[in-house]
Amino acid sequence: MSAETPASAKAKLTAVASRAAREPLLQFLAAGLVLFWANGLLHGDEQRAPADSIVISKGRVQQIADSYRLLSGRMPSQTELHALVDDYIDEEVYYREAVAMGLDADDTIVRRRMRQKLEFISEDANASEEPTEEQLAARLASHADEYRLPARVSFRQVLASADARGARAEADAVAFLEALKSGAAPETTGDASMLPSAMPLTTQQGVASLFGDAFAAVLFAHADDGWFGPVASPFGAHDVLIVSREAAREPSLEEVRVRLRADWIEARRRAKREEFRTRLRERYEVSIDWPDLYAQTAGHAAAGAAGAE
Amino acid sequence: MRLSLLICAATITIAGCSRETPPADKIPQSEEGAAEGASATQGPDASRAPNPLRNVYFGDLHLHTRNSFDAYIFNVRATPEDAYIYAKGGTIKHPMGFDLHMNSGPLDFLAVTDHAEYLGVVPAIDTPGTEYSKVPYAKDLFGKDRATVISAFSRFGASLSSGEMLPELTDMSATASAWRETIDSAERNNDPGEFTAFVGYEFTSAPEMRNLHRNVIFAGGDVPSMPYSALDSQNPEDLWRWLDERRAQGIEALAIPHNSNGSDGTMFERTMWNGQPIDRPYADLRARNEPLVEVIQVKGQSETMPLLSPNDEFAGFELMTSYIGAAKGVTKFEGGYARDALKRGLEIEDEVGANPYKMGFVAGSDGHDAAGPFEEDNYFSKAGVLDGMPALRGSVPPPQYKSWADYDAAGQATPVSATWASGGLTGVWAEENTRASLFAAMRRKETFGTSGPRIRVRMFAGYGLKGLDLATDSGLREAYENGVPMGGDLAGDGDRAPEFLVIAMRDIRSAPLQRIQIVKGWTDGDGKSFEKVFDAACSDGGAVDPETQRCPDNGASVDLSTCAFSQDKGDSEIKGEWTDPEFDPAQNAFYYARVLENPTCRWSTWDAIRANVEPNPKLAKTVQERAYTSPIWFTPTNVR
Repeated sequence: MSAETPASAKAKLTAVASRAAREPLLQFLAAGLVLFWANGLLHGDEQRAPADSIVISKGRVQQIADSYRLLSGRMPSQTELHALVDDYIDEEVYYREAVAMGLDADDTIVRRRMRQKLEFISEDANASEEPTEEQLAARLASHADEYRLPARVSFRQVLASADARGARAEADAVAFLEALKSGAAPETTGDASMLPSAMPLTTQQGVASLFGDAFAAVLFAHADDGWFGPVASPFGAHDVLIVSREAAREPSLEEVRVRLRADWIEARRRAKREEFRTRLRERYEVSIDWPDLYAQTAGHAAAGAAGAE
Repeated sequence: MRLSLLICAATITIAGCSRETPPADKIPQSEEGAAEGASATQGPDASRAPNPLRNVYFGDLHLHTRNSFDAYIFNVRATPEDAYIYAKGGTIKHPMGFDLHMNSGPLDFLAVTDHAEYLGVVPAIDTPGTEYSKVPYAKDLFGKDRATVISAFSRFGASLSSGEMLPELTDMSATASAWRETIDSAERNNDPGEFTAFVGYEFTSAPEMRNLHRNVIFAGGDVPSMPYSALDSQNPEDLWRWLDERRAQGIEALAIPHNSNGSDGTMFERTMWNGQPIDRPYADLRARNEPLVEVIQVKGQSETMPLLSPNDEFAGFELMTSYIGAAKGVTKFEGGYARDALKRGLEIEDEVGANPYKMGFVAGSDGHDAAGPFEEDNYFSKAGVLDGMPALRGSVPPPQYKSWADYDAAGQATPVSATWASGGLTGVWAEENTRASLFAAMRRKETFGTSGPRIRVRMFAGYGLKGLDLATDSGLREAYENGVPMGGDLAGDGDRAPEFLVIAMRDIRSAPLQRIQIVKGWTDGDGKSFEKVFDAACSDGGAVDPETQRCPDNGASVDLSTCAFSQDKGDSEIKGEWTDPEFDPAQNAFYYARVLENPTCRWSTWDAIRANVEPNPKLAKTVQERAYTSPIWFTPTNVR
């Protein structure tokens, strides 16, 4: 450096400049500058920042220092901080150059992460939104089926065990039924088993998971009072007394508030995400040149490939 | 550049057009309260009062989510919150896109037990903007090429094998935040009286790939700020000491070893970590912290196996005889199975005066999809995209092969996941469905494990139990008064042989029951242990042959073209009284019950039938699902 005369340095610079002018990179950067300038004209002063200037704000330095502290457990020294900031500048320079060269464009991972980032940003903006009472009530009204509380019954049952009585179980259950109707105590009638002799209010699914689907269906279809039967299950023949019934009903807002709120936020988030995606997609005209092989069955082929791996 | 401006413009109404990157800690969180769905169908009910005679509750004490380093690599993105949705009877997605839902209805309790090692770290590596995402192999971990992924992933296996933490991943912030998520979701989903959510984690010690894994289950919601992991120490004794220290601070927990079948004989050794023979302080320390053992899960059963129990014709069930995560066969089966450990425990007790292996039984799934595959006809294995489809788990030949013969001819080996079982469930006898009541039951070992079906089983031993009917409240009350339930200790009464009562009820969605057996282990006076299996109660009115100690064959069969099984064989409920025909009042002994169902189709047969192909000839076509009660230990008194 020091050995150069001003003249030779100038000649060198000219040579470099003319060579550089033919470089695709510089041409690209120049085109970018023009676009940036045009954008500035359109959108005003705040957009205008020279492409080759790097401004490190106080906040940025603070962030660099903080993330160092998070990793190491202490604040960086002056020297360390200078080195960290310098490294950040290098990173920024390399980043800009790499982006300018389009190095990010064909990298699957970078592309995927850019998409993720944008998705995060679009979701993040809605994350803190809280539904109002009206919005919760509206959701409850418009999704009544989802929140309906299923019917429940509580009942007693007396068993004639198929294990113990075989083919006689049903006839014996008929005899037990007569006894129960004339006032026999259910506790001392029929065969003891590990099945509960009385069930608290339980849904049809809950009854089915213990007594089987057919038994549960009969109970939930039965509308009369008093002992009835026999009702068959894999355990044998049962006589049943429905103690109380609770019809399926719409819950009050209070009963399902926590779930409603979560569902509202999720639905909102999903809608915003979808809206955002749609708006982005609207800006692009997409044309796909399907290879002949896939022209007819493009969708199916993709599904098959996913399944096989 | 033009594109970025356009996107900027599109974004501006939503987020503003910031040049700042999103903050590093913005990992997308699951929505609060999404799991309320399942439980909201059952409101509070005054009639669900505590039952002093105890109810049975079924649950899974072993389950992983995206926060486990391996699950995330298997493409699992389901969170602890999703795990509760599934456990409460809801529907979640498998990473390969299909729905996961239990046909048998909701569970009563769940512990999410993600690996403590690198907890939450792999998701953080995959999150743009985090320091973690800067590790040089980040790109390889989530790439498309399977070999590259496996190679990048292998450094985690190597780290667990060595116990050395990867130096670039010593920042614990992701682990702290995932642990917080584990705790918060358990607190949110714990619903006393309806559903119990335990806070837990897996201590993943595997010195030289020998499996010493434990699940740590906390009694309450007040838990340590960080889990104690195998990267702190691979030595389980250090974990137990840590648990002792927490207990002294009022934080109660227990550890449950699992997959001793993959430990190559090191889970239940006769020696301590330093190679010295087990002494009394070790036995006490271990028994205090490990009152339970997981006897079955997806990676096979660890009750016993044919080489250890040659006279047990039902021992050859869902065996896994290789290391976990390494293509290496187990060479040492002693020390790797629970029955053998119970026997060793008696031997060691004879010698040092304390029993390190006084363990009750539980079971779990070890599912890594935030969901356990408990049902043979609703099976999805446990490792996300590695085995989510039949062709990936050896039950259906991959599409490029026409038949199993073709497959074999091409030199293809059966994948290890083909030998895996359906997930197991833990049954707990407790007064009510709360953390306190269930944990107390686990402490006193009033628990049993099943191979998946919700088989109910009770066992009592004592004196004066004859004629009691465990199906009645009065019989149960007297059994509790005059005897001890599963998991208990029975002191001898002179020369009198104790009486045993057993009762079991089928799962309505599985097959009828075939028999109840009693497995006995004992020591002679000279420090040697023995075992024997007795049938105690038979189905279909059968009687035990006093010569063979076996029930007659009940003739139950399965139609392998449809999986339909005999409807007229087996019982819905079996009960029996039993006394030990070889009882010796001077011997230490344990007794546990094993309940066997009639044979049903194994999951691999269901897979094959649905794909209309021949079941893999290398795999069992049927299984006999089963339940194992915790043992009752007999201790002689007033001996001659």
